[in-house]
Amino acid sequence: MTVSTEQDIPASGAAGLAAVAAREATAGRRVRRFSSDLSAVGEPALWAFGGALALGIILVAGFLAMIAWNGFTTFWPKPVEQVELRDGTVLAGVATRGGPYRVGEDVLQRLDDTQRAEIEDNNGIANRTLYQTANFDLYGDDFRWISDFEVAQSTTPPDYWYFERQVWGVFIGRIAGLTIDGESRTLDRALLAREQSAARDRFNQIRRLEQRDIGRINFQIERERLAQRRAVLRHGEDSPEAQAAVAEGQARIAEWQDEFRVLQAQVNELRELDRRYRIQMQEVGGREVDVELSQIVRLFPANDLGIFDKIGIYLSRWWEFVSAEPREANTQGGVLPAIFGTVAMTLLMVVFVAPFGVITALYLREYAKQGRVTSLVRISVNNLAGVPSIVYGVFGLGFFAYTMGGTIDQLFYPENLPNPTFGKGGILWASLTLALLTVPVVIVATEEALAAVPRSMREGSLACGASKWQTIRYVVLPKALPGIMTGLILAMARGAGEVAPLMLVGVVKLAPALPIDGFYPFIHLDRSFMHLGFHIFDVGFQSRNSEAGKPMVFVTTLLLLALIVTMNATAITIRNRLKRKYADGQF
Amino acid sequence: MSDTTTLAQSPDDTAKTSYHYKTGNQGVALDIKDFNLWYGETQALFDTTFPIQKGLVTALIGPSGCGKSTLLRSLNRMNDLVDGLRISGKIEVDGFDIYGKGVDVIALRKRMGMVFQKPNPFAMSIYDNVTYPLRVDGVTKKSILDDTVERCLRSAALWDEAKDRLHDSALGMSGGQQQRLCIARGIASDPEVLLMDEPCSALDPIATAKIENLISQLAGTYTIVIVTHSMTQAARVSHNTGFMYLGRLIEYGATETIFTNPKVPRTNDYVTGRFG
Repeated sequence: MTVSTEQDIPASGAAGLAAVAAREATAGRRVRRFSSDLSAVGEPALWAFGGALALGIILVAGFLAMIAWNGFTTFWPKPVEQVELRDGTVLAGVATRGGPYRVGEDVLQRLDDTQRAEIEDNNGIANRTLYQTANFDLYGDDFRWISDFEVAQSTTPPDYWYFERQVWGVFIGRIAGLTIDGESRTLDRALLAREQSAARDRFNQIRRLEQRDIGRINFQIERERLAQRRAVLRHGEDSPEAQAAVAEGQARIAEWQDEFRVLQAQVNELRELDRRYRIQMQEVGGREVDVELSQIVRLFPANDLGIFDKIGIYLSRWWEFVSAEPREANTQGGVLPAIFGTVAMTLLMVVFVAPFGVITALYLREYAKQGRVTSLVRISVNNLAGVPSIVYGVFGLGFFAYTMGGTIDQLFYPENLPNPTFGKGGILWASLTLALLTVPVVIVATEEALAAVPRSMREGSLACGASKWQTIRYVVLPKALPGIMTGLILAMARGAGEVAPLMLVGVVKLAPALPIDGFYPFIHLDRSFMHLGFHIFDVGFQSRNSEAGKPMVFVTTLLLLALIVTMNATAITIRNRLKRKYADGQF
Repeated sequence: MSDTTTLAQSPDDTAKTSYHYKTGNQGVALDIKDFNLWYGETQALFDTTFPIQKGLVTALIGPSGCGKSTLLRSLNRMNDLVDGLRISGKIEVDGFDIYGKGVDVIALRKRMGMVFQKPNPFAMSIYDNVTYPLRVDGVTKKSILDDTVERCLRSAALWDEAKDRLHDSALGMSGGQQQRLCIARGIASDPEVLLMDEPCSALDPIATAKIENLISQLAGTYTIVIVTHSMTQAARVSHNTGFMYLGRLIEYGATETIFTNPKVPRTNDYVTGRFG
């Protein structure tokens, strides 16, 4: 042990360290600092990345919150205001949105001095509100901007009703009269509610007769016609076989037509009855509109509702939205066909993409000789993921619909030509196109998952005398399954949200029939379909009145997001269950 | 088990190969003759020649990279998976060269169970793990499978621990149990030879002791070839020991002799810990 002097061991703490540094500096040695260089410290980078992440999350969350807020509030019933303007005009409507705007010079000229002064005090800015005045059949427009300075008085009289009609959209006004079974009756809310619901039942009954029963007869007649045409095409027009088939077919068609006439008579009878139940509505200016009660989908006194009435209306509108067909060029009513189309197409896509992608990846990773060609294939597959989706749409239309579909039509549906059966856009071609679009994701994910299966597992299996295929089948694939599922989930999320290519290969604004129905062969893969993504585009940007469609855009977006989240959550749950099943132990 | 044979072999100038191994009473299980092996351009095994005795435990020791694992994996042709592999010489089982033409590798592997360094049970139930070699062989009869599970788990000293959870995932077991399960799987197809590639290197001392016990019990029924880094383990469990160095078999002899009185100086250096 050496005895140290006081200088050798300075007082502890920072002062001591500083003293060491100072002594070393005077001795001409490198100065040791006791704080690290900034470039060596990771924290600023960490803050930058964390901050960027936080910003991104806030943006996405805000966007989702906006969609959710608008989506969830759309169906809440709002009061009808009666607004008297200074120029004597009276109008009634529902305030939808508002905000400040700069008042134009010509408008200012027409105002009186006090108002002009007030606006000029406010830097020429005034507030305005957009009222849904509805009654498109009378006014030629659904909406009107009203500036605050125009308004003399605004009231909410309790006798205003809000009518949602089967055609022509919303009507806002009073009830002038009620005709029940041909007799004029005084207004009684209970009676009105009862009769409206009975009228809707009649309406649905007529619709069912027309769409299902008469629809089936039309379907059968069309089949008979096609069968005759097929016989003519096969045997020649003058051959006895063809003539026999035609005669037989005509006889059957005559039978169907008799049945059709019976149903048609039923429908006419119902319609006759329906015309005896009517409602007379009066808009704020006094003009009356007289319609069948069955044309009113929903009506309520907008200013005279309790909270439970409002909740009832809110829920019934949601239910209509998810369970009914669209009305009024898709701006009202439900989106059931679009929900159905989206789900059916996505599932069909998974059915195509899963085996194709997994088998491709298996070959690439497990069987193909790793070399220049394999890497070239791999690079090409990865690059396929970057091709713009509309290009896939064009390819799908040209190759699947026109070339493959056209050939199928020539071979199997010649009787229907020149009308295409498969030779046009349809749900089959749309899902194949999307499968092509998403297959790179599945291939890449599957390859990664296969590569991640430990070599020791394969060796263990091979050492047991298993063949290569048995090893893949029993050991490698089960272990890789969660990773493969991840790829499928990604593919599904991408496919369900894709719109651009679908517009070319089968999505339509309004599909008359679902791809799956009660008519043989039940699944009609050749049919066009509706899709929520396209629905958003169509309602928001292609409808006659985008203002009327705007709430629907939010609700449909909310629904599409909810649908994708639900499908993904289901898939993720399945994957996690698999993961748990094949989880590694504590080793 | 029996007398000691001493053979003076190949008067090699660098490392004298010395053979003085024990012979069992059942003959030779695997006869390795002039075996050379190359990974691409690199030669990993040089002129290896020695007989592995049936029913005995043969340990292969040597420093890392000496080729002992390569040699072991050559015995059931697991090295076939490696690209650019070349061999010369023979490994004979019952007079057949396993590298000869028309040899069914899958059938060969069914005659040789293998246990790896890290326990590698499949992501299946314990039952399915043990019966895997039978099921890939097409056996579906439940009574046979049930019997096999019990026989193999008993042989692997795992039956008492596992009999109540046969249909639970094998991955939920401890490392030592997993390794014993792998041994049970290795003997399920009733092989002649059990190849063990450092079976205890990932296990704690208690699990190691259990596996060593197990090896002693299985000897006689099966021919066991074990690669190990632990010289004490080789000393405890094996009858014959081969010392390998730089791809060559330096000395092959009865375990007691190798560890107490080796004939080649380099073996002495290794077993006494002077290098390695």
